[in-house]
Amino acid sequence: MNMEMILKHFEAAAINPKGQLKEYIGKGKKAIGCFPYYVPEELVHAAGMVPFGVWGSNHKTIEAAKEYFASFYCSLAQLNLEMGLDGTLDDLSGVIVTTLCDTLRPLSQNFRVAVPKIPFMFLAHPQNRRKEYGIQYTISQYVKIKEKLEEIAGHPITDADLKASIKVYNQSRKARREFVKLAGEHPELVTPIQRSAVLKSACFMLKEEHTQLLEQLNELLRQAGPSQWAGIRIMTSGIVADSPGLLNILEENHMAIAADDVAHESRSFRVDVPEDTDPVRALARQFGAQDHDTILYDPEINKRPEYLVKLAKDSGVQGVIILMMQFCDPEEMEYPSLKKALSEAGIPHIVIGVDHQMKDFGQARTQIQAFADILATM
Amino acid sequence: MELKYTMGIDVGSTASKCVIVKDGKEIAATSLVHAGAGSSGPAKAIKEVLEKAGLQEADLSYILATGYGRHQLPIARSQMSELSCHAKGAYELFPDVRTVIDIGGQDAKVLRISAGGNLDNFVMNDKCAAGTGRFLEVMARILEVDISQMAEFSRQSAKRVDISSTCTVFAESEVISQLAGGSDKCDILKGIHRSVAGRVSGLVRRVGVVNTVVMTGGVAQNSGVREALEEELKTTIVTSPLAQYTGALGAALFAYQKCIKEGNMDVTANER
Amino acid sequence: MSQQMNGEKKPAKEVLRGVVEQVYQNAWDAKKRGEPIGWSSSKFPAEIAETLGLAVCYPENQAAAIAAKHGGQRMCEHAENLGYANDICGYARISLAYAAEAECEERPMPQPDFLLCCNNICNCMTKWYENIARMRNIPLIMIDVPYNNEVEVSDDTVTYMREQFHDAIKQLEAISGRTWDEKRFEEVCSNANRAAKAWLKACSYCQYTPSPLSGFDLFNHMADIVTARCKPETALAFEQLADEFEEAVKNGTSTWKYKEEHRIMFEGIPCWPVLKTLFTPLKEHGINTTAVVYAPAFGFVYNNLDELMKAYCKAPNSVCLETGVEWRETICRENNVNGVLVHYNRSCKPWSGYMPEMERRFRTDLGVPVVGFDGDQADPRNFSEAQYITRVEGLYEVMEANKQQEGGV
Repeated sequence: MNMEMILKHFEAAAINPKGQLKEYIGKGKKAIGCFPYYVPEELVHAAGMVPFGVWGSNHKTIEAAKEYFASFYCSLAQLNLEMGLDGTLDDLSGVIVTTLCDTLRPLSQNFRVAVPKIPFMFLAHPQNRRKEYGIQYTISQYVKIKEKLEEIAGHPITDADLKASIKVYNQSRKARREFVKLAGEHPELVTPIQRSAVLKSACFMLKEEHTQLLEQLNELLRQAGPSQWAGIRIMTSGIVADSPGLLNILEENHMAIAADDVAHESRSFRVDVPEDTDPVRALARQFGAQDHDTILYDPEINKRPEYLVKLAKDSGVQGVIILMMQFCDPEEMEYPSLKKALSEAGIPHIVIGVDHQMKDFGQARTQIQAFADILATM
Repeated sequence: MELKYTMGIDVGSTASKCVIVKDGKEIAATSLVHAGAGSSGPAKAIKEVLEKAGLQEADLSYILATGYGRHQLPIARSQMSELSCHAKGAYELFPDVRTVIDIGGQDAKVLRISAGGNLDNFVMNDKCAAGTGRFLEVMARILEVDISQMAEFSRQSAKRVDISSTCTVFAESEVISQLAGGSDKCDILKGIHRSVAGRVSGLVRRVGVVNTVVMTGGVAQNSGVREALEEELKTTIVTSPLAQYTGALGAALFAYQKCIKEGNMDVTANER
Repeated sequence: MSQQMNGEKKPAKEVLRGVVEQVYQNAWDAKKRGEPIGWSSSKFPAEIAETLGLAVCYPENQAAAIAAKHGGQRMCEHAENLGYANDICGYARISLAYAAEAECEERPMPQPDFLLCCNNICNCMTKWYENIARMRNIPLIMIDVPYNNEVEVSDDTVTYMREQFHDAIKQLEAISGRTWDEKRFEEVCSNANRAAKAWLKACSYCQYTPSPLSGFDLFNHMADIVTARCKPETALAFEQLADEFEEAVKNGTSTWKYKEEHRIMFEGIPCWPVLKTLFTPLKEHGINTTAVVYAPAFGFVYNNLDELMKAYCKAPNSVCLETGVEWRETICRENNVNGVLVHYNRSCKPWSGYMPEMERRFRTDLGVPVVGFDGDQADPRNFSEAQYITRVEGLYEVMEANKQQEGGV
């Protein structure tokens, strides 16, 4: 397959989760919806089921969910509930819902009672995740999920199955990290929308199928000659960055994403699972090692802003675009520290308020265009 | 050497403004039509400014558009964000400007300008009417005054009335309560101006107050808001009668720069 | 302590106020002596610091007091100017402004040397305290209480919490320079239990019709169970309060000085900047508040360490929907409530997040009218007096109509 064909394949999958789901079900597979954040998909995969990421939608408005949420909740949570209520998620054999922020707490309860027909699996991650007792707690929660998944799948999940799935996922994470780097080096070959599609399609494909194509793409990018691209390189930071409207504006302004700190993207595949130990424990240790995320407690207190500055510098970006999810208090509360760290490091940034229901990008366009002007004069 | 006329068009949400500049130095004509993006406003404004300057469209070397509706103007050769254009225009009017406060019909922005007149940093308001021209329109309607009278009335205020809600709908309700309770229109108007100043000053502080502070945009003509902002930020704020044309002026100047850089590609002007 | 003044005992509400004053004073005194003082989440296990003799004060209580004294907007704006979005909890904004040394005379409190963070009440707590730790470069001790989807607290959770508890003890031993005294701990637990029981007893007087107390009083009294629940003085003060209520029931008096035509549950944290505004239409319509969820929410009663862990898993925002509904419906039934007024608190996402579904359940299960209004616990800009009055009047009209239908009285 040539690059164009591979990219088209990813784009087709990224914009058609419903079609992807129907295809897998047609093949006799079951699918489990994985809500944000840090769901151990390997458990679902090892049970022979397909994990489907549920991260809102760019094509829906919040209607039915208003019966459960006042207006001041992020569109990600409200749209996940909306999709539960409007039948979009009906073909899933279960959902796994987590609780790491103050909106996810009531979302878990609202979803459970509002969408009783979809088997509900509750996952409360510990914030003191690194210490042995934290790992023990994670293990206990993962075991609960594992047992429910076994019930749904109709058979046990063996350690061997789980170890095999962990290998598949480590390979997938590695390929995606490679891709982020390569796409950043070749913006002339991969547009922001294509980049987003490559990463987003992983939510709607079995990871081994995704990796097979992605490794081909990565190889083609590696073989491409040195890039002559003369545009601007930026880093994105936020919860989601898959809005075609926004991505088009970046492209219009000759901006390429050379690195990202986005929950839907790099934050979800930064850390691998150790392959040397009891697999459930290994998954728990992976969660223990997750870091630099606004929803995760930072026991070293100042590591996250430092990490982002280093990531920006190492990736050679000229500026940072923070895509601030409307009503997201973990992201909002992190911002002053991030602003300080970026200013001290001399890295320009702008903040653009986003939510899934944005239809008019006038303000965002103006801000990004002006940011491009600023970066051009630096 | 032939004169180069360049035009800047600023199509905002509520008004269309045009400025024609001669040789990148002198303003030849301006126009303002109170109809913005998506209406007949831009076309009317263009016609008017050409008439005032005594020119035809073909006499223009370059047309550059800015503002909310800048992408829907095929007559413009290129477009730039109103942030950059306001920065440019403000620097032209006030060479020692370092902070620009622009309160328009639908949004508010604060710009940091460098010593060399470049846009260094900016902040725009949240997706909210409070602290914009829209807020003032709503309040003017409730108080049954003309927008142009708001400053004069508020200057007559003798008693402090606070309008504290950040939400326009809640603020409306507060104003109505005050009226019903017998509060003086002038006092309420001053409170409204203070409320807008409070909202906007938050934006200004995020960018930082560095003198000279210049106010541009439609609301700059409301000295009530400007004075409330001066009080809030504890600094003098200057403005120009050309405040509302700042964006269009900047666009016309950028047009001139591009014209010189790209060489005069407007063959029709040469042929005339 | 109740003091003899002119041979008369101080009323319980004054004693209670004095206990809270002493908490702040203890912190100032400790600071003067050069001892480290801590800021603590309202539901961090207070037993630990108390056992180690560490003075601790409570930013949530401080923020409520600042808001009540009309400093809320100023402090919130200060935080916003530092870059904190106005979407963030008002208590957090006020506290962050204070930690950033904004001028504040309303409720002075010494700056912290360490932080005690427990997220049973919310996840915002974690970000809030992380920010203070960054600002002031001080240690943060974190006890994480995972959200619970079930009514019972699992053994895994108890184990996890016990380990964190012991970890916190080690960290605080290092900070205080003292060693853990198991006997002192038992004493502290005993005080805390006594105080919690006394608090629950005092709150239980709302069950009487007419009520011997104005329910809004509980919003003030609760400061003690938040800031001083391990102190013996707190237990004594609440016991005194309960005695006063007992007397009032006997004599047919009440701190509610108006007609009691209707009895409601006030759901949510009160709007501190506008307490009087909240109270006025209620008193004008003879509506007494006889149920608030703070009553069961602070009833930390336990017999052993495991039960202590389970007790701290029970905050309004850490329990599942069914438990939350059960708490409220129980006090509504016990306290003979005929309407519910729900505060949709802009500053509290976890709390307001359940309310629409809870409202539906109250209507079905209790058969009473339920009305909501928009407000904020600390930021006065999110409250509209006109809207509130309209909503209360609406509630009153339905309760009146129901009463007429049932034949009155």
